[in-house]
Amino acid sequence: MTTLFQYHPIIGNLFIPNLKARIEHESGGYLVRVNEAGFRSEREFVKEKSEGKFRVLLFGDSFTAGDGVSNKYRYGDVLEKILPDVEVYNFGLPGTGTDQHYLVYREIAKEYEHDLVIIAVQVENIRRVAARYRLTQTSEDGEVFLAKPYFEIDSAGNLELNNIPVPKEPLKTEDLPEAEKSFVDQGGRMLWLRRIVGKMGGSVKDLAQQISNYQPLPEYDDSTGREWTLMRKILLQWTDEAEKPCVIMTIPLYHYVEETASPENYIARFEELIPCFSNTILHNPLSDYYAVPKKDRRALRFETDIHPTPKHHELLAESLAQVIRQKFNSNAQGASAE
Amino acid sequence: MSALILGISGFYHDSAAAIVRDGEIIAAAQEERFSRKKHDPRFPRKAINYCLSEAFVEADELDAVVFYDHPLLTLDRVLKTVIATAPDSEEQWIKAGRSILGTKLFVEKYIRDALKTDVKVYFTEHHASHAASAFYPSPFEEAAILTLDGVGEWATTTLGIGEGENIRLLKEINFPHSLGLLYSAFTYFCGFKVNSGEYKLMGLAPYGKPVYADLIREKLIQIKPDGSFRLNLEYFGYLDTDRMTNKNFAALFGGEARNPETKITRREMDLAASIQQVTEEVVLKTANHLRELTGKKNLVMAGGVALNCVANGLIEREKIFENIWIQPAAGDAGGALGAALLTAYRKFGARRKYNPTGRDTQKGSYLGIKFSSAEVRAFLDRHSYPYRQITDKKLWAETIGTALADGKVVGLLCGRMEFGPRALGARSILGNPLRAETQSVMNLKIKYRESFRPFAPSVLVEKCKDYFDLNSESPYMLLVAPVLECRRNSITDSNTENENLLEIVNRTRSDIPAVTHVDYSARIQTVHADDNPEYYSIIEAFEKLTGYGVVVNTSFNVRGEPIVCTPQDAYRCFMRTEMDLLVLEDCILEKTNQPQTEKDESWKSEFELD
Repeated sequence: MTTLFQYHPIIGNLFIPNLKARIEHESGGYLVRVNEAGFRSEREFVKEKSEGKFRVLLFGDSFTAGDGVSNKYRYGDVLEKILPDVEVYNFGLPGTGTDQHYLVYREIAKEYEHDLVIIAVQVENIRRVAARYRLTQTSEDGEVFLAKPYFEIDSAGNLELNNIPVPKEPLKTEDLPEAEKSFVDQGGRMLWLRRIVGKMGGSVKDLAQQISNYQPLPEYDDSTGREWTLMRKILLQWTDEAEKPCVIMTIPLYHYVEETASPENYIARFEELIPCFSNTILHNPLSDYYAVPKKDRRALRFETDIHPTPKHHELLAESLAQVIRQKFNSNAQGASAE
Repeated sequence: MSALILGISGFYHDSAAAIVRDGEIIAAAQEERFSRKKHDPRFPRKAINYCLSEAFVEADELDAVVFYDHPLLTLDRVLKTVIATAPDSEEQWIKAGRSILGTKLFVEKYIRDALKTDVKVYFTEHHASHAASAFYPSPFEEAAILTLDGVGEWATTTLGIGEGENIRLLKEINFPHSLGLLYSAFTYFCGFKVNSGEYKLMGLAPYGKPVYADLIREKLIQIKPDGSFRLNLEYFGYLDTDRMTNKNFAALFGGEARNPETKITRREMDLAASIQQVTEEVVLKTANHLRELTGKKNLVMAGGVALNCVANGLIEREKIFENIWIQPAAGDAGGALGAALLTAYRKFGARRKYNPTGRDTQKGSYLGIKFSSAEVRAFLDRHSYPYRQITDKKLWAETIGTALADGKVVGLLCGRMEFGPRALGARSILGNPLRAETQSVMNLKIKYRESFRPFAPSVLVEKCKDYFDLNSESPYMLLVAPVLECRRNSITDSNTENENLLEIVNRTRSDIPAVTHVDYSARIQTVHADDNPEYYSIIEAFEKLTGYGVVVNTSFNVRGEPIVCTPQDAYRCFMRTEMDLLVLEDCILEKTNQPQTEKDESWKSEFELD
């Protein structure tokens, strides 16, 4: 029932500043603390780096913001415990795509002194970057569509930002223009089927996935498709603009973790970016997932909620820590990609 | 030793949760406020979530969770009652048995399922929880304790003593003899809802004459000089049916029970006056006996009957005790708080910390959720609802005070929500007490409730004696006292049989007519600047403009709706009613500026009438 978000004319939503809340959840509930800047964090963000700290700016969606777990269990926070000289500013925002993460960087985050940018691309974000609306639940309006900013590629091949200022009003299904209905992110394909299977419980959903080998993200199949073209352009422009080294970390959906769908195409798409990078590293943590016995991987998500459990966050933190240790000189002097 | 204890009540009516740290109350709230189902009896999942949120702790940081009632003892009482009344009690057994076997016995499982933790779970006895809720937050190091309600496990009335950290219950009256159930029987018979409409019956009483009081004493209840009593069970249905009264009861009072929502007749008014008089007699005799028994100069009270503020006012005026303190969440919701406090002191060795001001430690009962200005604006901005943000506190109070002085009706959501059934200026609708029509306008156009129901005054604590014959504080609206004689208008009512309640209500009985009940009484809230500086400043601003340091205060809801909790609830209620102004923290909304909504009356069926 707690409203966690406020309107932002460019990004769409930010957390309400200084919020403290506990969210009811199948895990028993989790604590959310938001800082003055409007991001889930146990600390206030300050422009200048703390002495002796290697500051990481971390971007992502609900997997990064930590839906389902208290702040302290998120991989960004765990990373700080593993690498005490690292300071993570987590700009994660639930329900957003990589396009909005880029806008967070541009509008807010880049002002903060830093050594490294980590762009966590939960692979489903490809759908969000192509969307103009997102289906969401609000405490006062129930299920509504909220508009979001979106990029398009103009005739000169540049990113063009649209829907600015982002329209405020939540829209009911009947209010959504017919022409816009194909630009809605409903959190996946075949919403009606997912709802039916979802209502039947976690085990039925798992069984359905195992039997069908359902591929949740066919958007990665075509390297020239609209969605991937947008994602590719956003990532390249972002990493190009960034004054510090970047890590792009792909976070897999559970279908890939549990090997009920092939990750081949999304891996291929992201690897195609590597030759274009100058000061950016692509980190695919899938091998770290596969190091976990297959039977234990189900515990990386909740019974019904697909968000990462604390165990999953630990895995991601360890995986990232290796990258930072190996590839960066993680001290206050700064860093460069090897 | 630092101990964090979560108390829970529920599965009967008014489920709630409370959290205390080393005996200090951190938070408490009723489930109904979050679930939007009045008197919600279900496991208080959302209230628990709120309490943990306010304390900002993980569930595994709790030292204990405690339930306010002992399910096995309740089962014992139900089983024995069923056996004693078989076979007539089959219907009752199915209902009560389902409740106990289906839920209460499995409280521990509910707790573990909700919190996903193996925290230690304790149980306290129902009346011990009430007693603890009355004693520990009170300002007294020592006090006599009186708890009165419908029924706990077996007890319906207990007399006890509190000293420091210790509570002892000395005497009890057991089921089926219950003052609470007797009052509820009349509530039911007069066409109001049990466990909800008792307050209405009390409000109706001044319209009637206690012509049935002797009959009640003769046939229904035998009252002894020490206040103990026995009911004549031949007249009640609650032992073997799911109705409170039976055909003998109906025969005694000239016919069947009144059907809800039908016209209230002289009979119901007189029945209300009669049972109120009998109740007051029992309460006063019990209080006298308790004073003799304990020798204590202070009295603390809890249990549903302690919400009978007319009887409470009598105890205060009779000066049986020097001081009196009543738990504002006196009903079962307060049991959650009592259970947590009792466990903190008994099992975890907490030491009492008294309020250095000499006042209580209930924190004005503002123990619920608060919404920041940023949260309010997030909601208003998202919907483009026009508002004015006034961050200057003086100007803010003046703006609201001026609206009230102009006769406008104001919805106020400000600060932490109240714990207990009364709105105390955090979730209130405010009006101008000087206008005769305020009562009927607020009842019929804003609250959509029965026209006879009185409104309460909130008065600056320092100015209370200028208006009312009350010699103590009443911060929780739990004492009724007369309006000063010098403020009254004399009204000669030639038609003593008048059944037109609206006509009776609209007579101007004093210079503060909107808060003067038909018997010249008022249910008073004294407002202390320490408890709620914002509310205090509004009344002060009103006083500067009108010369009166008193406003009308009623709960922010419509009939059948739980008191509003969130800014969203408040806005919805504001737009559905004829309120003029809405205050959401430092944001002020005028009705005339809001977007037009289609006239849709269907929401009135959203809340079951209480």
